[in-house]
Amino acid sequence: MSEIALRIPAARRSPLRIVVWAAILAVILALLPLVMDSYRTLQLAYGLVFAVAGLGFNVLLGYTGLLSFGHAAYFGLGAYTVAFMVKYLHVQSMELFLLGTVVSSLVVTAIFGYVCVRYTRIFFSILTLALSQVLWSLAFKFFWVTGGTDGLRVPTPRLVGIATSESEDKIQFLSHNYYYYVLVIFLLAVAVVWLIVHSPFGKALQAIRDNETRARFVGIRIRSYRFMAFLLSGVFTAIAGALWVPLNGLVTPDAMVWTFSGEIVFMSVLGGFRNFTGPIVGAIVYNFLKDFAVGATVYWQTLMGVVLIALVIALPTGIVGTAKLVAATVRRRLRS
Amino acid sequence: MDILVIHLFNALLYASVLFLIAGGLSLIYGVMRIVNLAHGNLYALGAFITASVVGQWFAGSTSGWLFLLIPAGAVGAALLGALIEPTLLRRFYRRPEEYQLLVTFGILMVLEDLMRFIWGPYPISATSLFEKMGSLRVGDWIYPRYNLLVIAIGGLAGVFLWALIYRTKFGVLLRATSQDMRRASALGVNVNLVYVEAFTIGCFMAGLGGAIIVPGQSAVLGMGVDALVLAFIVVVVGGLGSLEGALFGALIVGVVREVAISTFPELELAVLYLIAAIVLLVRPAGLFGKTA
Amino acid sequence: MSGRPTRRDFLSQLGVTAAAAIGGSVAGVGMASVAHAQEKPKGNIPDKPFKIGHMTFFTGAGAVLGEPMYKGNLLAADEINAQGGLLGKRKIEILKADEAAGTDANTKEMRRLKLAEKIDMFMGITSSGNTPALGPVAEELKLLTIFIDGCTDFLFDKAVPNPRYIFRITNIQSADGSTCALGVAHTWPNTRKVAHIHPDYSYGRNCYDHFSIVTKKLLPHAQNVSEAWPKLFSTDFTPHITKTLAAKPDLLVTSLWGGDYVAFYKQALQHGLYEKMKVATTLALGSAPQSIGKDHPEGVLSGVHANYHFSYPAGNRWPLNKAFVEKYHAKFNEYPNFQAEGAYTATHALKTAVEKANRLMGGWPDDDAIISQLEGMMQAGPGGYVYIRPDNHQGYKDAITGFSKNVPEYPFPILDPDRIITIPIRNITAPPGWPKGEPTSTYTWIDQTWPQVKAS
Repeated sequence: MSEIALRIPAARRSPLRIVVWAAILAVILALLPLVMDSYRTLQLAYGLVFAVAGLGFNVLLGYTGLLSFGHAAYFGLGAYTVAFMVKYLHVQSMELFLLGTVVSSLVVTAIFGYVCVRYTRIFFSILTLALSQVLWSLAFKFFWVTGGTDGLRVPTPRLVGIATSESEDKIQFLSHNYYYYVLVIFLLAVAVVWLIVHSPFGKALQAIRDNETRARFVGIRIRSYRFMAFLLSGVFTAIAGALWVPLNGLVTPDAMVWTFSGEIVFMSVLGGFRNFTGPIVGAIVYNFLKDFAVGATVYWQTLMGVVLIALVIALPTGIVGTAKLVAATVRRRLRS
Repeated sequence: MDILVIHLFNALLYASVLFLIAGGLSLIYGVMRIVNLAHGNLYALGAFITASVVGQWFAGSTSGWLFLLIPAGAVGAALLGALIEPTLLRRFYRRPEEYQLLVTFGILMVLEDLMRFIWGPYPISATSLFEKMGSLRVGDWIYPRYNLLVIAIGGLAGVFLWALIYRTKFGVLLRATSQDMRRASALGVNVNLVYVEAFTIGCFMAGLGGAIIVPGQSAVLGMGVDALVLAFIVVVVGGLGSLEGALFGALIVGVVREVAISTFPELELAVLYLIAAIVLLVRPAGLFGKTA
Repeated sequence: MSGRPTRRDFLSQLGVTAAAAIGGSVAGVGMASVAHAQEKPKGNIPDKPFKIGHMTFFTGAGAVLGEPMYKGNLLAADEINAQGGLLGKRKIEILKADEAAGTDANTKEMRRLKLAEKIDMFMGITSSGNTPALGPVAEELKLLTIFIDGCTDFLFDKAVPNPRYIFRITNIQSADGSTCALGVAHTWPNTRKVAHIHPDYSYGRNCYDHFSIVTKKLLPHAQNVSEAWPKLFSTDFTPHITKTLAAKPDLLVTSLWGGDYVAFYKQALQHGLYEKMKVATTLALGSAPQSIGKDHPEGVLSGVHANYHFSYPAGNRWPLNKAFVEKYHAKFNEYPNFQAEGAYTATHALKTAVEKANRLMGGWPDDDAIISQLEGMMQAGPGGYVYIRPDNHQGYKDAITGFSKNVPEYPFPILDPDRIITIPIRNITAPPGWPKGEPTSTYTWIDQTWPQVKAS
């Protein structure tokens, strides 16, 4: 992607301001379950989970310039890892689930990444789509392992070793204990990804994205860096999948289907993939938007499709990008 | 022995339809460098239009008349393509490819609901032609004649396309534009016109695939999304942007599917993805493709 | 310990009867109305509408089978609302949801219906893939639920072995394969070579398993010669048909349903499949009746999910059916299938439970009270008596299947009224107290307690 769509003067941001903003947001997110009903909190929990997936996805798109149309594979992989650990290893601890997910996703993303990063642009996208469908077909066909279309159930996990008793209301559990757990992991993910993309490694990725030839001449090993980005991206999306499955209680091959990958892309573009916070905002907004659309009309796919087309035509920088543009214009007007 | 002939016919039947869809997809990519994610839904649109024209509007007419009406679906899909290209897609050629994928994904979603809105939620069929053509004796078995017609149409379409691209002036313009758009434009080729024509032909092919298969099956919501994945497998195996690739990819997929269903029924679906995976690992550009 | 019984004796012991449907012609005379006693409800009843969330297939190939379920619910709701609603005060309001959205989306939708739309009850579900997913969610949500179909044994065998809030009204899935096999054993006892075509998901596998275990006991000489597992909601069955033909079987067993079966039989006709072998199905005539044309061959063992076909019981012999079919046809201009009958019966079962609970305790009964009345209830519906077993909340009614036949009264095939096969359900499903087993309790029960008949 050698064309930079817009040049916005980078706002002067001191690290302190960022930390303050982040802390305020974290506090707001922590207090919301106390004022919202359990259904909305559940929606927000889903939103945070997809925000983690979006963060992971965007390491590849926004920062490395590679559009993956197969990220649902890693999301589903995370979910199935949890389900397998329940089924075969009788594990109940959420922490072990997350650990297992990191391991399994490292293995799979390493294999897929090795194949995919040899190509860029459209071929990269097609390869990721095709590989994700391969994984989907395995989940679909090997029903004696994966449950096939019926899927695998995942019972309530143990959070930091504390089990929830049978009698406790599951909805209460999900909208309180589990929500906070997701929130903590989400904040950790935000911090880690932020550090990574602002590190020299992250800068190198952006250099590769902006001008591959120049990056190579500076001495950056393109394939290795892309491969690392691929790994990172896949692992974070898999973690999101692992967080998602206790919310759903069930994982089916639908979690890996290519149209779901399309939704992940949609979320990031909706928020704005050129900004760090874009995928986060996009994921949360998309989640609420889709729930609203499904409840409002039977033609919700048209609604979402039109939103996507309009977005790509008129607001290619997404919500956050457009907001920044508006803010910069306002600031300029005020100054003059 | 005769049963092998029937198996071959089945494989060719499947391959014919896949060739039409994947060929259209490849053509569009070859000329315009766009991967049209909504392509499967144009196939579905062709099926629905033909099903309602042949199966409902003109249901009682004579067979001859009905045969002539089968391509109605292809024409409808082509018209829609001619409408979409200039309005929605053209502005994205200068933009990064990611946006092209996204806008076609959005079109996919809208088309899905559009078909539901126009034709309702139930499957639609148009089986009178399929039944009227009867069956042919092949040894101990009988085989629907209509399926043979589909195979013939698929083959003819392939020949026609080849002739169009390699033996006509229009084909020269197409190839020139696909090889080097700027130079072609500098030499006076109306590139915008070539683009809309290429896209229309691609959509026509997809719509034709749906139109010819619907008398033997039915038009069902969701068939477009399933078809797109299969078309992808074909272009992954055969190579994106290549007509020969679409042809051989379709033949390979058709044969492998037929063999799998006969001998390893549990693997029916997975085996297609498995070939795709193997080709991806060994020759990612596909058998006839070039990595652009 | 007696020796092995003969096939005929064993079938007779099981109560498998194939006989002409008594009760005169299929179309009875006059519009029957079934009188219900109207008692005044006790205590204070709020007049808030009673919201039912109804989820079934409204789009795609599954809609041909599933959508009538909603119509049955609607018909019953209209009847109840015409008398003022439940207990004369609470009108039923139905919120629709499309099952075709996929299992994940359906789970979210059930939560949304309960938590945001505040439904009082959930009804519906066609696909066996969805009940094991939604059952536990309904229990978590403490949502009173009657599943109409989604009949997989897995729900109460494994997923929710001790159900509290969830019930299921139509026959358990194992009855399907078993009924089909018993029909085959009764009608075509000389079958030797069997071919199978089943959709590749839990329903197809369940039918295959139970057909196989019953056949092992009753047709010991029968062998499988071919298997095919097309994906659910395919449209092209040509390769599967060819494979079946190549194996030259005596019998084809298939559990394809809805739009799949319609596409299949049209393609199979052009391959001459029906002329080369007998065909037994578990669900051929279970879809909306008008979806199958008169070109469908006669004499095919046409299952109705072991539940109900509108042509039986016929005439005035069972007025509930006559009234139901007439009212359904008058309202929707089509004939009901077993899903419609199931939803209709379930809605009336709800009404009965609410009325009984109110008589005991007064006021609007809470969910616990309604549940206690549903457990052990024997409700008379158009298809017959259905018994809701208290231990597993599963509805049981006598199984039925028959043979396709074209008659002048209807523009589509029906079950041949001279050859209806009925089987008492208690003889073919695992009884209370039988331990849960793999793949289903009924499978292990048949395997361990049924004798193998004398080979003949």
